[in-house]
Amino acid sequence: MKEVVLDCLGEACPIPLVKAENAIKDLSAGDVLIVQIDHSCAMKNVPEWARKEGHNVEIEEVDDGEWEVIIEKA
Amino acid sequence: MPFLLLLKKIKEVISLDIKNNKYYKLWFKDPITYVMGAVLLSIFQIVTFAVTGNPWGVTGSLANWGAWILELFGGSVDSWSYFSTKSAQATLKSGFLNDPGSIRNLGVIFGALFSTLMASQFKIKKIKSKKQVIAAILGGFLMGYGARLAYGCNIGAFYSGISSLSLSGWVFGIALFIGAFLGSKLLVKYFM
Repeated sequence: MKEVVLDCLGEACPIPLVKAENAIKDLSAGDVLIVQIDHSCAMKNVPEWARKEGHNVEIEEVDDGEWEVIIEKA
Repeated sequence: MPFLLLLKKIKEVISLDIKNNKYYKLWFKDPITYVMGAVLLSIFQIVTFAVTGNPWGVTGSLANWGAWILELFGGSVDSWSYFSTKSAQATLKSGFLNDPGSIRNLGVIFGALFSTLMASQFKIKKIKSKKQVIAAILGGFLMGYGARLAYGCNIGAFYSGISSLSLSGWVFGIALFIGAFLGSKLLVKYFM
């Protein structure tokens, strides 16, 4: 089981979403992708996309205005 | 001892775990839904129309801010054709505090600051690359210049245009869609 961290801090929408879409292609089921974001709209569109794809998603607020979207590939 | 019990109760109330408070979450922490946002925008644009007599706009006032800043440094926009109309001259003369659009824009800026502070999500984002700086300046210039050429931005020309049943709003919308399509292609090409 692999764990990949995707640093999208300082990146505005929709870049975190497109980067997450690209990154998850290289992973296999059960692997975990951690997307680090500090743009609040990415907190909405990244989990929305991942849930629609059927992955397991969790959002963690790690600091003021900073989140980690944890996606477990299904 | 009742006194100690009372003290305990007071302590409980003071140390109220605000982070997990239901009403704090509802009003300040969790973002409102898109539908709720749309409803609120609709209500407030009606209010703004009723109160100021003009539909909601954003960037027109920003052009006035530019003119006022230039005047602060001794410049003058009186000979510019954009500011040559009577109403534009009147707005410039009556000043910042008498321009409803300017006050509303301040409200947008401070309202956004207030809500991000209340949610404790305020963060000064670091600049990641030179590309971001160039894209921001270039994008800002194109949007500002384009909005003045079109006599409106996505609010004044698009949103307010369509909500006042004007065909121009739909024309602007088509151009907006084409621009957004090309913009996202450029974004993927240069930022991925």
